[in-house]
Amino acid sequence: MTTAPSLRATAPTDGPPEPELARIRDMIYQTAGIFHPDNKLRLLQDRCGRRMKELKIETMREYSECLTIRPNRHAELVALLNEITIGETSFFRNQPQLDALRRIVIPKIIEAKSNLPLHRLRIWSAGCSTGEEPYTLRMLALEEASSQLKDWSIDILATDLNERSLAHAQAAVYGSYSTRNLTPAYRNKYFTAQEDKLQVNAVARSNISFSRLNLSDDSRMTFMKSMDAIFCCNVLIYFDLASKRKVIQHFYNNLLPHGYLFLGHSESLFGVNDDFRLIHLPGATAYVKGERAPAGGRPL
Amino acid sequence: MTAATATKQALLQRLEGLHQIPTIPAVLAPLLRYLQQPVEQLDVQKVTDLLSQDKSLAAQCLQMANSPLFGRAQNVQSLRGAVMSLGFRHVSDIAMSCGVLNMLPSEKTSLDPVVFWEHSLGCALVSRHIARKINFGDPGKAYLAGLLHDLGIIVNLWVLPQEFRAAWEKGKSEGIPLHEAEQITMGLTHCESGRLLAERWALAPELLEVISYHHTPEKSAEHAGLVALVQLADLLCRMSGLNYGYVEERQVNIEEESGFGLLARHVTALKDLDWARLTFELDSYMDEVHSLVRAIYRT
Repeated sequence: MTTAPSLRATAPTDGPPEPELARIRDMIYQTAGIFHPDNKLRLLQDRCGRRMKELKIETMREYSECLTIRPNRHAELVALLNEITIGETSFFRNQPQLDALRRIVIPKIIEAKSNLPLHRLRIWSAGCSTGEEPYTLRMLALEEASSQLKDWSIDILATDLNERSLAHAQAAVYGSYSTRNLTPAYRNKYFTAQEDKLQVNAVARSNISFSRLNLSDDSRMTFMKSMDAIFCCNVLIYFDLASKRKVIQHFYNNLLPHGYLFLGHSESLFGVNDDFRLIHLPGATAYVKGERAPAGGRPL
Repeated sequence: MTAATATKQALLQRLEGLHQIPTIPAVLAPLLRYLQQPVEQLDVQKVTDLLSQDKSLAAQCLQMANSPLFGRAQNVQSLRGAVMSLGFRHVSDIAMSCGVLNMLPSEKTSLDPVVFWEHSLGCALVSRHIARKINFGDPGKAYLAGLLHDLGIIVNLWVLPQEFRAAWEKGKSEGIPLHEAEQITMGLTHCESGRLLAERWALAPELLEVISYHHTPEKSAEHAGLVALVQLADLLCRMSGLNYGYVEERQVNIEEESGFGLLARHVTALKDLDWARLTFELDSYMDEVHSLVRAIYRT
């Protein structure tokens, strides 16, 4: 592998990043919907470097061709995406997103549902992998149980395609990497030590239903009804455009009118769906349901 | 006259005096006048001489010139080198950034000066970024407009420090936008106080409009596009962490902002702009702005 030029010297605004790397960045964004801003290009370069080493490729230009014109380009893209998302799963992975959920989104959902006889929220972790995300959401809900979520019951649905991941999630035992963002307070309150690992305790495991679900399974997707919020982080990046559109349409139908869709950090629906509206929350973005466009154009 | 209007009148009278406000830093007025000449008539030595008159400004300019936000991969050692490699336009932007922001009061204020610098510089960079992205006029003008949009906050910090402190504290405790808190507690906002100073300094008409209407772009006239662009850049900064030192507890849909519709009249492609990508791109500014401003502030 060739030595990477220092990206620290790359100007985020004025100096163009290395052209091949910028091309790979744009290609990943167009096909997978995940964006690497200039200050994260070093990370992308590092991940490409791992693939290049594996493939015994010397130059970024040659690797760029592997991703764009060679016959096995789709498989290579998946391999690169795996490198990009490796180690992404951890408890409290995206703190600004969680803060926005607690401080802005939950109050809005509560307001929208306050007149309903049943005080219940349904949150879906779609593509929950080894379970860190649904348990994080559960802990967050427990922290609010005596304040804004008093008298509310919270159902968390956690689904994944991979049975091994689900088995790991249900065992709820995690090593130091997954638990690196945990504050001592959360660690003491919601985990028990198990040799050199940590297990989520019974309180934080309650009210989460894990199940296997293929997001492309139309008949099963139609049953995931009445969601207040859906989290789908770093999952859609593996789907082709047509499948992604179908899944997003299901999410749209699965969400209640006031519902929120959260994607992974720097993940976007641009060019995938026009019904969802991008919103900005402090330090995070999310999608809400827009009005259905009338025939002949977008609503004003 | 209601109590609120009486307060507003009293505050306006104090603002109109503007006695406490320092004048524009001495070196900037001749420098900016000089830099307005056609670029082929400019002389590197003359610009360097002008900047060198203010030692602390010169040192700050050098710091900024070495930041990736302005430069390419380089190590600029001298002012002359900065002017040569960055060009007159960027040096002018940098000098203006340092000069105006040096006007903040030195005693302890409610709004941390470092935080205010970060927001102003961030808004300048984001305005320039959007202008480039949508091919809107001169990106240098967008930079300056973004940099100066909150001039009124400097005025408020000098002339109405107690009243502004109360407004900032209300904004912080309730998580509401600062201009809304100012309106509630003072009956006026930094847009009005900024307008007074902009008029006194005889700033260009487009800057006057940006300073006066960046929270109400629908009221702007001749330069509604630029005002709208700065409104959106300001909003993106405040939602992305380059805020006034506190988090605004709200959700924002850019397309529902008044500035979006106004800007869309000037830039038809605005509706097709990928705002998610633009937001992610801004991530690059955050760390750089934080470290640059902190470095300059120690100079």
